[in-house]
Amino acid sequence: MDNHKLLEIKDLKMYFNINKGLFKKDNKFLKAVDGVSLNVNRGGTYGLVGESGCGKTTVGRTVLGLYTATGGEVIYDGDNLTQKSEKEFFPYRKKIQMIFQDPMTSLDPTKTVGEIIGAPLSVHNICSGKERTERIRYLINLVGLKPDHISRYPHEFSGGQRQRVGIARALAVEPEFIVCDEPISSLDVSIQAQIINILEEFQEKFGFSYLFISHDLSMVRHISQKVGVMYLGHLVEEAEVDELYNNMQHPYTKALMSAIPIADPDINRRSSRIILEGDVPSPINPPSGCPFRTRCSYSKDICSAEKPELRNIGRNHMVACHII
Amino acid sequence: MENLLEIKNLRTNFTTSNGVVQAVRGINISLDKGECLGIVGESGCGKSVTMMSILKLLDDNAVVSADEIKFKGIDLMDKDAKFMRTLLGSGIGMVFQDPLTSLNPLYTIGNQIMEPIKIHTNMSSKDARAKAVELLRLVGIPSPESRLKQYPHELSGGMRQRVMIAIAISCEPDLLVADEPTTALDVTIQAQILDLMVDLKNKINTSIILISHDLGIISGMCERVIVMYGGMVMEEGSIDDIFYKTSHPYTKGLLNSIPKIENGKREKLVPIFGSPPDLLNPPKGCPFSGRCDYAMKICGSHLPGMKEISQSHRSACWMLHPKAATLSKGVLTNG
Repeated sequence: MDNHKLLEIKDLKMYFNINKGLFKKDNKFLKAVDGVSLNVNRGGTYGLVGESGCGKTTVGRTVLGLYTATGGEVIYDGDNLTQKSEKEFFPYRKKIQMIFQDPMTSLDPTKTVGEIIGAPLSVHNICSGKERTERIRYLINLVGLKPDHISRYPHEFSGGQRQRVGIARALAVEPEFIVCDEPISSLDVSIQAQIINILEEFQEKFGFSYLFISHDLSMVRHISQKVGVMYLGHLVEEAEVDELYNNMQHPYTKALMSAIPIADPDINRRSSRIILEGDVPSPINPPSGCPFRTRCSYSKDICSAEKPELRNIGRNHMVACHII
Repeated sequence: MENLLEIKNLRTNFTTSNGVVQAVRGINISLDKGECLGIVGESGCGKSVTMMSILKLLDDNAVVSADEIKFKGIDLMDKDAKFMRTLLGSGIGMVFQDPLTSLNPLYTIGNQIMEPIKIHTNMSSKDARAKAVELLRLVGIPSPESRLKQYPHELSGGMRQRVMIAIAISCEPDLLVADEPTTALDVTIQAQILDLMVDLKNKINTSIILISHDLGIISGMCERVIVMYGGMVMEEGSIDDIFYKTSHPYTKGLLNSIPKIENGKREKLVPIFGSPPDLLNPPKGCPFSGRCDYAMKICGSHLPGMKEISQSHRSACWMLHPKAATLSKGVLTNG
């Protein structure tokens, strides 16, 4: 695999102003992403995991330019995307595509599958007429649907088939980089494996790079080379996949891993779970210092006073924790 | 000893504008006292409808029939809604998937916990209130007194599910039905809730029926599992039977679709191809035959009956027929 960095995110910050309005005096911010840095290699898969509200989706959307970042940089193939105007960004929309979580709400219900897959072809002026029809047919076959599906509407499909349509649409413009935002979480187990296999097959065939956002840690382990764990807008741990799963350091990562239900009765009988106390704090009013300290059983004074930085503990294993 | 719950040949049909949907097609369930039974299957396999049929919670377009539905020896077949209302809450508690839609947004938490207590027991308001506080403490909600005055939207998802569980166990039911209780929750919160349910099961000795699509949750919680597909039971057995002596190709398929996390090696996932059958027009033979790698001629035309493999383990597959041969003791090997 080529180790060249395709996407580089540097200290990305995304704050949402939640108190905006004519008569509101002071601004209140929801810090969805607060200083996240990560790299995705060309042809590689970076898995971003975390619980709901940790900011993983916001990272994905900021990469696509759907949000304007509050701070930090998104560098794609050497170009800084955060400083680009809408017009300058346009060519990158062809290179970066997205697969959404819920294929029911991300496909226009009033358009046929052919129109949905054809839309990006027209927007980017890739082809028209007979060539366009040919290409739609090719894409439909590629994702394992049948040509007579082209004239049907999204509601006529099952969840798995709809997700295939979503993938075909993302592939239409021949992208290099695809942000997969929870692409399988709304699907049944047997269908999840189908979609994951498609994504892997296409990566081999076309050399795609993925930013794979998910809360499903076992799927992330299966598909990624590098994994980052997010908590409350921060990256708390990052490493190569085997290093992370075999040698996890951060207390949050440990708790998260031990919470995954494993489909093996023997393992369940042998191991005991780490049960975290309480809920994730609100990102509007995050705790001082380490974001995880309110639920962490190892918390010390320094954790509330100082925010831990990501440190390399060897083998490119990065951890943000004072106790390690 | 009498079983707590005994269901024989349950069938549920829905009349819709497109025709009759046969959601449940002949299901037998029996549950011992204190047992935790898991019902696993994909969406649309009829696992939720099965429980809703027994509790008579379905809409008017549902037609439920059965040879027998008995709870604690009481025949529920001919009981009306009024009787069911006295049973639900006191005898059977339910926890639903989405706590935000199953709690009433207009009433306080305290109000909703005290309601079943007041209906099913003769407690005074003051005692009911004390009981509500005690229940909230039992399900691990901090500062329960002040929570009583809060509304569901003021609580987080995990907290709401704890409130649901508090309501479900308020009258110490003999049976707790949990329908995908943690699907809407994050994994760390899911672990909290499952831990709580195991804890409560030991404390108040209720039986649990846990409906889930997640084999991981089932394997950690249950003693016995029923695998459903296309409105029918495919395989039934103890968790060791289901996970280590898997007999039915569908169960095997489900287990193969999950990435294995324990060893460093990454194997390619083996999905089940195709999608579940249309229950408007269910296949004549085995519902899984269209997606099954081992399907034979007979599978498409005739239903396989339940075959006993061991005392605790049964499976509905034609491969277990003596004439089909080649499988050792009904256990599918990999590949």
